[in-house]
Amino acid sequence: MPLIELNNVSKVFKKEFSRKEVHALNALTLHAHEGEIFGFLGPNGAGKSTAIKLMMNLIRPSTGGISIAGRDASDSGVRRIIGYLPENPYFYDHLSAKELLHFGGKSCNMDNDAIETRTTALLHELDLTESIKRPLRAYSKGMIQRAGLALALIHDPRILIFDEPMSGLDPMGRKKVFNLILRLREEGKTVFFSSHILHDIERLCDRAAILINGTLTRLLDVKEDLPKEKTLEDVFFEEVEKTGGLRE
Amino acid sequence: MSGIISLAHITLKEGIRNRALFGIFILALLMFAATIALVNLFMRDIVKVAVDLSLSTISFAGLLMVVFIGTSLLAKDIDKRTIYMVISRPVSRTQYVIGKYLGLCFLVVVAVLLLGIVSSLPVYISSIMYKNPQAVFSWKIYFIAIVFIALKLMLIASVIVFFSSITSTSFISLVLTIAAYLIGSTNETVKGILDSKMEGVEITPPMAFIIKGVYYVFPNLSAFDLKLQAAHGLALAEGYLLSVPLYWLLYTGIMITAGSLIMERREFP
Repeated sequence: MPLIELNNVSKVFKKEFSRKEVHALNALTLHAHEGEIFGFLGPNGAGKSTAIKLMMNLIRPSTGGISIAGRDASDSGVRRIIGYLPENPYFYDHLSAKELLHFGGKSCNMDNDAIETRTTALLHELDLTESIKRPLRAYSKGMIQRAGLALALIHDPRILIFDEPMSGLDPMGRKKVFNLILRLREEGKTVFFSSHILHDIERLCDRAAILINGTLTRLLDVKEDLPKEKTLEDVFFEEVEKTGGLRE
Repeated sequence: MSGIISLAHITLKEGIRNRALFGIFILALLMFAATIALVNLFMRDIVKVAVDLSLSTISFAGLLMVVFIGTSLLAKDIDKRTIYMVISRPVSRTQYVIGKYLGLCFLVVVAVLLLGIVSSLPVYISSIMYKNPQAVFSWKIYFIAIVFIALKLMLIASVIVFFSSITSTSFISLVLTIAAYLIGSTNETVKGILDSKMEGVEITPPMAFIIKGVYYVFPNLSAFDLKLQAAHGLALAEGYLLSVPLYWLLYTGIMITAGSLIMERREFP
């Protein structure tokens, strides 16, 4: 059974004070399986973040259904098994990374000892140990991104949903996130992430979906379906050209 | 439940560490110091003046705190999308609203407790320095008045929660809260004028309907004002002491329930 299921999901945004509608997603059907690393790619404005926000119940589908581990995405209890990193995360200014992770653990009913152990390990892995007590407002963009990853992982979830996890990271930070996703794969976690860094998706993912103008144009097994002597980047550009580029 | 408590906890921490809070406390301390310095300018009823000024200071500083820090803690969550870090956890929207409100209430309790303790100093000093055997002053009523100020501030916090659930920017939420405060502070006086049918004051039926509507929709904040009773040591009726907290419970309950229902339906694109 797929762990993440999007069945015929469409999302239409209505502009305030006007009758104009924006069709952000069109009948999207996607399934991600247990233990799979799933890459989600598409140009800016293709609808990747919209799809991810629908999975997290931050917005609701206009039509279609989304289920996570067999439960409806609107069930707040299901988020106990999900770790989410939004695009450009923003946290409370005056909290430290330690306090942020304590909140993350407590909200998932973890006990204090388990939170402490996980916090130490995660902050060490993400190179934030020295800044553990500094307020988050003093963090750089890359550090905020890594603190967000630590928050997503604190409760050891089965499913990780990352919206552009590499964004704003320097090469060392990118390498850390790359290694982190590899570790998550070894632990049998399901990772669903969007990225513009096609080379990373090609190296990390089992399957990838290409979304253009809210429509799924290609779903491929990265190891088997890539034509010989073609990279994922080549396939991606072909798809963009086929659809005539991005709509206004 | 742990989601609500942990959210209330970080909301309190965020509030306490907000730099605006230090500014508000320094302002309150200066006002308390000014109370000690100024009361001797009054020829009589010095303790009454000290009580009045001290309670006004708590109320004013508390209002600044709850309005500015409250809107920044709640509406900014939606404005800047910090709400993602909470509702992407196993925390429902209703739990989010309750947790945020509880955090604001904890902040009000801590602030009013501190201000209340500090405010007793000018009252105590004036009562020692300017002893007046005829003056009727009761510490009990003074502290009840402080508790009522805390209730008033928590009621305003529930109004902030409601406005934050319907608006997308912290500025609009701030403006609406200030408007609700101004109406809530004066609506009893305006209704009093309507009910007294004063000569020379002509109120048309539609206007009377609007005034009554405003009176029942907006919070009646003057019900929480016990400055007069505390300054003059007037006994408080038991019915009053019960009905005001009950009104607070009802109004706050409506605001939080309405805010939760709206948040449950809202989208955060």
